[in-house]
Formats: sequence, structure tokens, C-alpha cells
Amino acid sequence: MKCLAIACFLACLGTTTSARDVMKMAVTTSFHNSGLAEVLLPEIAKDLDIEVQLLVVGTGQAIRLGQSGDVDAILVHARAAEDAFVAQGFGTHRRDIMYNDFVIVGPTDDPARVRNATSASAALNVIAGAQVAFVSRGDDSGTHKKELALWRSAGLDPAGFGVWYKAVGAGMGAALNTTSGLNAYTLADRASWLNFRNKGDLVSLFAGDPDLFNQYGYLPVNPARHNHVRHDLAIQVESWLTSQTAAELINGYKIDGKNLFTFNASP
Amino acid sequence: MSGLFPMTMVQAQTSWRGKVLVGPIDATLEGQGATVIIGPNGSGKTTLLRLMHGTARLTGGEINWACGLEQARHHQGFVFQRPVMLRRSVLDNIAYPLLIRGMAKSRAHAMAADWADRIGLGDALDRPATVLSGGEQQKLAIARALITGPQVLFLDEPTASLDGQAKREIEQILLQERAKGTRLLMSTHDLGQARRLADDVMFLLHGRIHERGNASAFLGRPETHQARAFLKGDIVT
Repeated sequence: MKCLAIACFLACLGTTTSARDVMKMAVTTSFHNSGLAEVLLPEIAKDLDIEVQLLVVGTGQAIRLGQSGDVDAILVHARAAEDAFVAQGFGTHRRDIMYNDFVIVGPTDDPARVRNATSASAALNVIAGAQVAFVSRGDDSGTHKKELALWRSAGLDPAGFGVWYKAVGAGMGAALNTTSGLNAYTLADRASWLNFRNKGDLVSLFAGDPDLFNQYGYLPVNPARHNHVRHDLAIQVESWLTSQTAAELINGYKIDGKNLFTFNASP
Repeated sequence: MSGLFPMTMVQAQTSWRGKVLVGPIDATLEGQGATVIIGPNGSGKTTLLRLMHGTARLTGGEINWACGLEQARHHQGFVFQRPVMLRRSVLDNIAYPLLIRGMAKSRAHAMAADWADRIGLGDALDRPATVLSGGEQQKLAIARALITGPQVLFLDEPTASLDGQAKREIEQILLQERAKGTRLLMSTHDLGQARRLADDVMFLLHGRIHERGNASAFLGRPETHQARAFLKGDIVT
């Protein structure tokens, strides 16, 4: 499938005056779309006098920016790829920062009876059994990788699915719009779902299974690979992101009164 | 005429911890020309641009693009006040948006070289972008935003802190783009720049559009005393 255009921009957020040091960090679009960066970055600038410049791209591209030494650290959510990043020497280590979760959304009348499912795998099994329309991101994003992992856990392979499985090769907003238009099911990250304003007949039908948790990891780029990276700044920012200050800001961040992220960094 | 426009904002606002940062905003933007947002420091110029672009979260009201938000996002570019340079050459920086869209490297580099020529960096293709001057970096950022052919370009104080020569060169690029049909939405604190570039002006005060009008009318005969005071150079709070 041909991938649609990939959103990308290079942003300098949260500072109006020049801070002394500048660090570059690649983050995923889902993290940036949540709005949390706008809360954290000004506090980092205030506390550490470090301006964190964001490169907002997809998970795969964020990892490639780290591999090429374009950034000093990455904040992504694709555990297998993160472990490989460290194992191959591109990152010095990996640290849990926080998690949010995915939800399965679908039509209010819920023809597949996803509401009654006891696990995420069971929810996908009933969708596949009913062969009701399911929209997949199909774009190799972190969310798409998660969906494929969930199908595997359910013992199913989307390659064998019929026309009811629709891979759109697009971002979360576009996928949700298609889902709304078709009155279908899809897997969405909670922040995108809460921000989505064209819900139509869609509701959140299933959430809470630990399999749906979406862990964000922070990985400093290895200075042994790229001696120009600001590893010192990356470590300072890591200390801040795992601090009590960050915990309070992350846990206190809400959209429509609902928490988006749970801080879980170890001290 | 662009497929993105008209773009309408209906009671659009963004707030944080109960404080409204910008809004409510009611405005319609058509698909041609340059709209320049002016106003005192802290009036919400940057936030309004980011709200329209979709990188600040809408907490109330609506922003509707004629083609829908997702389509609109694929046809927008944003140039920040302080551009972020990748640790790569000038050529690779300009080519980057094309490469991550899957364009073949040879074609992307050819287009990037053409853009480098247009912004006066044709002799600096292999130089690290991080060592360019502030004006050169800003021109590179504009080329990088324009290389994908966006229908609308957002610019947040693109020439703040640049010298007169760099400012003139960047304005020239923007005028050429406007003439080619790229819709420009930009903030500036430079009233001279607003006079040179704007087709219409939004005067922002306390996060709201206090006055809006055709550039020559607004800049010549503003209707409100706050706008008159601002144009005179008085401190407006």
C-alpha cells in the first residue's frame, strides 16, 4: 500500500528567549498531538536552562533521526525497536517515562459485542468473527505496530482478512474520520480519541487491558557513535523527566477532565 | 483559489488550567494574500497561529477548513521564529521533508538544490546547516517549509532578530510566494513589515481579535483607540 503524506515539522516550543543550551529531541506525533510537550518544555527551560527543540515525526523516523545523530535523544513508544536501538549501540540506555493507553472505539450499537469482551485479544476476536468493518492505520506507526501485535496475540493475521479490514495508510485523525464515516471499529490512542471532534456515532467500547498500555521510553543517543551529540544535556533532561516535578505535571495533565498519561519512571 | 479555504473559526479558543490564552475567535479567512497578525507582546499572536495550524489544542469552539482538518494538515507549512536545523548539510536539510515522504534521493536533492539557489544558498549546499548565520538559517527553514508545495504557510515572527539585509531577502521570498498563490499567515512585531507584506491585518489584544481590516485601511485609519495607540508606538495593555 502506498503511504500517504507523513506529517513532520521541526518545532521550537515554549521559550521566548534564548536559553543557554539547546538539545534536540525526536518525538512521535501522538505525543506531540497530546499537548503535553507544551507543558513540559517550558518547565525544562525554566529549571535547567535548556531549550529542547522537538522534531515531530513518526516513530520509525524518530528512531532513524537518533541513529543518524540528528538528535540528542528520542522519546518514542515502540518497545521492540527501542531495545534494538540500544542493542545496536545507537542509544546508551532506555528509561521508562510514562504510559498512556489505547482504546477500541466503534459504533454505539456495537454489532460485534466488543463491550462484553474480557481482553483486548478477545475484543479483536469478536470483531474478526463478526467480520464487521475495522479501520487500521496501516502506516507503520507505533499505533499500527500495536494493532498488529494485538492481532498476533489474538492468534489472527490481518493478511488473511477480507474487505471488512480496511488499512488506510494514514494518521490517527484521518483513520478516525474514516472509522466515523464507515461506522466501523478501530484502535486509537486515548489522546487522539479525546481530541477527535467528529465522533458521530462512535464511542469508546473497550479499554483498561494492560495489553493496551502504551509505554513511552526515553533513549539518549550514544556519544560513542556520534561525538557531536549533547549527551550531557540529554542526561540532565532525563533526570528531569524522571523527577517528582515531571511526575506531577504528567499525572496532572488532563483533557476534558480525563488523565492522558501515567508517570511510571523509576527513580 | 485554494481547496483549503475558506477557513472559519467559530468561538475558537485555547486555554490552560482554566485560563483562556486565546479566544474566543470568530473569523473567516479566504484563500489568497497575506494576513499579518500584530499586537503587543503576550497578546497571543504565536498561540493563534499555532491554533490555526493545529499544533495548539483547541479547547473550545471550532476551526473548519473547507477540505477538512486532516487534508488541510497535509498542505500546510510552518516556519518558527527560531528554526531547528538538522545536523546535516544545507542540501540534506532542505531535502528532508521530501525524503521522509518517500521521494527518491536524487530527485529530492535536485529539488533541494534548486531551492537553495532560489534562497541564495546555492554555493553552500555541503555546508553544515548549524553553522549558517541566523538569516541564512531562516531562509533555509522557509525553503524547507515550501519545498513540499504547501498551500498555506504559517510564519511566526520570521525575521525577528535578523538584520535589515536578511529581512529584505526573506520578505522578497515571501512576496514571490504570495504572488504564486501561497496563502501567508504570519505574525510580526515589525509594523514596517506589516505595511510591506500584508493584505489584511488582525490586531490582537488580550488573546482576541480587537480589530481586523484591509491593510491599507487599518494601518492608515484604525478604528479603535487601542489600535491607534499601538500603531503610534504607545504601550498598549
